[in-house]
Parts: sequence; C-alpha cells; structure tokens
Amino acid sequence: MSKVETIVANFKAIASNPKKAIADAQAKTGKPAVGVLPVYTPEEIIYAAGALPVGCWGKATKTISKARTYLPAFACSIMQSIMEMELEGVYDDLKAVVVSSPCDTLKCMGQKWKGKCPVIQFVHPQNRGLASANTFLVEEYKLVRQRLEEALGVKITDEAINEAIEVYNENRQATRKFLEVAASYPQIITPVVRHAIMKSRFFMDKKDHTAAIKELTAELEAMPVEAWNGKKVILTGITAEPDEFLEILEEFGLAVVADDLAQESRQVRVDVPDGDEDPLMRLAKQWQNMYGCSLATDRDKKRIPMLVEMVEKYGADALIYCQMKFCDPEEFDYPLLYTQLENKDIRNLMIEIDQQANSLEQIRTRVQSFAEMM
Amino acid sequence: MYTLGIDIGSASSKVVILKDGRDIVAEEVVQFGTGSSGPDRVLHQAFTKSGLTFDDMAKVVATGYGRFSVEQAQKQISEISCHAKGIFFLVPTARTIIDIGGQDAKAIKLDKRGMVSQFFMNDKCAAGTGRFLEVMSRVLEVPLDKMAEYDSKASEVVSVSSTCTVFAESEVISHLSNNVPKENIIAGVHASVASKACGLAYRTGLEEDIVMSGGVAQNEGVVRAISKELQKKVIVAPHPQVVGALGAALFAYDEAKKVQ
Repeated sequence: MSKVETIVANFKAIASNPKKAIADAQAKTGKPAVGVLPVYTPEEIIYAAGALPVGCWGKATKTISKARTYLPAFACSIMQSIMEMELEGVYDDLKAVVVSSPCDTLKCMGQKWKGKCPVIQFVHPQNRGLASANTFLVEEYKLVRQRLEEALGVKITDEAINEAIEVYNENRQATRKFLEVAASYPQIITPVVRHAIMKSRFFMDKKDHTAAIKELTAELEAMPVEAWNGKKVILTGITAEPDEFLEILEEFGLAVVADDLAQESRQVRVDVPDGDEDPLMRLAKQWQNMYGCSLATDRDKKRIPMLVEMVEKYGADALIYCQMKFCDPEEFDYPLLYTQLENKDIRNLMIEIDQQANSLEQIRTRVQSFAEMM
Repeated sequence: MYTLGIDIGSASSKVVILKDGRDIVAEEVVQFGTGSSGPDRVLHQAFTKSGLTFDDMAKVVATGYGRFSVEQAQKQISEISCHAKGIFFLVPTARTIIDIGGQDAKAIKLDKRGMVSQFFMNDKCAAGTGRFLEVMSRVLEVPLDKMAEYDSKASEVVSVSSTCTVFAESEVISHLSNNVPKENIIAGVHASVASKACGLAYRTGLEEDIVMSGGVAQNEGVVRAISKELQKKVIVAPHPQVVGALGAALFAYDEAKKVQ
C-alpha cells in the first residue's frame, strides 16, 4: 500500500467508525469528549478546556421511531437521527453537548435534549454587520465557556483559547490547501475519499488531523497530475451523504473539484482573525466574517456569485445542489441560485438529501441523466 | 440492421425493435415491471411476433428503473435521455416533455437539437403518477381504461389532494360515501395528477410544442386536465408507452453505427 493509500485508508476508517475514532483519540490524548451539533460552534473554547470536540451530524439510514415523539415529521433528517440517538443514549458518554441555533429545528434541540450529558445552547446574532452583534456573541460565548467549565470542572483561560485558535486556524488553512490540491487529483481523491477526509475532522484531535492532511497534501503534490476524462462538479448544500450518493457520482464519472457544503468547506472557510483583543471577540468576529452560507444572514446573498465564481475557477462542468430535505434556509437560496445558474448556462441539478433514504435509485437516475446531458 | 431498446419500468416492461434506426418492427408492452417476469415475457413476445432473436440485434440498450438488470444490454441509458430521444424522433418540434409513468413523473426541456437541457422529476411519492391512478381506479371500481370516459361526463371537478396518495384515497372514499358522482371524482383525480405534473412542467419554462409520453398519456382525461392547467395545447406522442424503449433502440442504433 502506498503512503497516500495508507493515509486515505486511515481517514476512511475514522469517518466510517466515529465511535472507535473518538475512543482512539481519547485513549491517545486522555481528553474527555464534548459533542458539537451542526453547524457552527466555537470549538476552540472546548479545545481550550482540554476536551475533544466531536461532531454530531446524525447517522445514515437510521430508523426513526422514538424521535417522532419530540420532532415533527418535517424536521430535517440530521436532527431526526440525532434525536433518535439521544434517546438511545448514544451521546451519554459525552461530557457536554454544545448546540448552536441557526435554524428553527436547532433552536429547539437544546430544550428537547434527552441525553444525560448537559446541553449548552447559544445563539449566533444574525444582524452580523453591527459591532453590537459581536458584543452580543461575546456574551453568548462567555456563557458557553462558563458552562463548559462547570461541566468539565476546569478553568478555561484566555491564553488557552488563543492557543486553540492557533491550532484551529492552522487546521483550516491546511484543509483549504488540501482541497485546492485535491481538485487536480480526482483519480485519487474521489468524492467518497474527499468526504471522508473532511468528515474525519469531526472525530480527530485537530493537531492530528492537520498533520495527516499536510502529509497527504505533500504526497499528492509530489505526484504527476493526470488528465481527467470524466466531468467535474461542485457540491453545495448542508451535507452530501450518505456515501452511496457519492458512489453514484463516481459511477457516472463525476469528480467533486470543490464544495460549499456546511459539513465540509464551510467549516474551514473563514479563519479566526489575528489580534491582541479578547479571544472571545476574535471568535465573534469569525462569525461576522463568515460568508456564503444560507445559515449566516447576508442581505446581498453573496453565496450566489461565490458559487458562480467557483464554477469558473475550477472549470467545473456543473453544480449539484444537495438540498437537505426540509432545510428551509437552503430552500430559500435555491430559486435565486437556480435563476443565476440558468442565466449563465451553468448546468445544475438539485438532489434531495435524506439521511434516512434507503433506496437511492431515483438519485441514480437523476445523476445518470445529468451526466448524459453534459 | 436491427437494434433493440428495452424499458423496464416499475409497473410495466416495454420493448421496441427498430430496423435501420427508422422503422419500428416490434413494439410490445407487458404490465409487469422490474423484479417480475415482465422483462422476460416482453422480450419473448417481441421476438415471437417479429420472428427475430437476440442474435439478430446489432446492439441492445436498456433503460428504465430496471435498466441494470438486463444481462443482454450492452449499455444502460437513463429514461430521461431515452424519452427525449424517442420523443424527438416522433415529434421533432417537441421542446417540452411531460412523461408520467407508473412510479414517477418527469418534465424535460429539449433544445432544438433534441438534447436535454434541463429536467425535473417528482419526489419519492406516488402522488401524480400511474400508481396513483391505479389506486384510485381500484377504490372507485372503475377500470383504468374507462376513467377518461367517466371524466368526459363530469359536471364538475371535485377537489382531490395532490400531496399524498394515501390521503387522496381517503378523500375519494369520503366523496364516495357522500354520493358524489364517480365522474366528478375521477375528474378531480385527473386534475390532481395534472397539478402534480404541471408543478414540474412549469419549471421548464414551457416552450412549445409540449408532448406527453408514458403510460398515463393514454388517459385522455389526464391529458385534458394538463392542457387545461397549462392553458396550452398538449400533444400525445404516438406509441406513448413505448417512447422510452424507442429512445433506447435509437441509442442502440447510434452505438451500432459507431462500431461499423
């Protein structure tokens, strides 16, 4: 097995078995685990507390029954499976769970939390242009810090948060560089592999993820770039799961050369700004600087031209809108984007993403038809 | 040169054998779809009636929900592309296709060369498909092939949900228990199918000519309801149920020519 294959296999193993990956990371670092629900959480505060932040993004093809007691049928499938797993005690080993509130379903998840660990919910201000928005968010983050301190029995210092910011900024920069390089190696970084590398961020100590992804990037850069005979696409949306969906892209010769997925590139899009001020203010400013996401209010909807520019930059043949079923914020953006893409003659396809989907035959038909169109 | 297209849908299996990419020498439909005896039976019927065998076929292309289950096919092509190919062959002026099959509904936008420029499919739901009509036919005790006749005698169109087949079924039962004439209920059922299909068709921009294909296109009541909803003329493709298989046979012909 080549070095690249070994690194990729490790990422795939982590992404496919989060429970083991978290246990391994805890055994290695001795850190307690703190859950972070989608979409954006100041993980640096958790990391500064000496804990391991782990992503909770649901589980594919999870049968939903108990969650129906607490969530309406039109809550998205990520929240449905998180609720189901809460009720099954899956998250009970976590020391705490941090929940942001960017959509109507997430707003209620803290109130409805049925796991045994404490839940820490906070709110991102949506009127993000104002200086007072940062002041508000700093107060929210102070509460997050205080409750984490209570849950973990530690003191979280400014110095530790500043150090965590450095670790996370380095990881975001390394991941962005990897994504740029990976776009030229679709034969190796297939859609499934690419997703596994991005998903594994949620279950690894970020220092370890950074080291592995830097090593992989260096290995790739040393390899010759081969011509790609298939087509290139960009994915946008919340997630592009399950893997079977990505395998269908592979089956019909579609490479993912870039993404704007909340679970993937949006997580590493914006660094925490440098500065000597309060680290919580630095973290608040990261939210202020976030762009191109349906969950971060933007009156100018810069996500639309951003995606058009991405298509041009990567020479993509098409864009696939991965519409998380019942995700209102994403549904509001779609008509605007669709109109722009059509006006610019950019091929586009909307696929409904549902973690609980057991049969992907209709998606196979859509993707095959789409590939035949190109 | 003979080529064969086979379209294995969810509710039926269809075969077209073409001669020289131009003349239909066999077209067969069996009302059993993927996972059933339908595919074998429809092939058997087509070969028996034409006197041909697989050995006579230069190429075989499969389409439809069960396209990956045909061992003899050299290529599988999606039903979107096959319907577009078949319709453009039959009606070269077509720019919008509304195809309603047993399990799904599609609206396809064609360019002047007959290439697919955009398409929309229904969600994972039987409302607005042939299966929806089958369910209603059973509840109403009116055979599928008589539904259009009933519809033509309706004095009004009653409201029937287009959101969910199960809800719509209970609505129809409710109408029946209130002694609403079956004619009016059936007109409502057809309007329900039309609203679902038109929801997809509107997104294409509705360039004319608008052509219908799929088994449901054989129901004049649905065609009328769609035309009324769109306020536009709707042409029913010749051989509507085998358009996908015809497209597959045409693709097979293109493939065969590449080899020559």
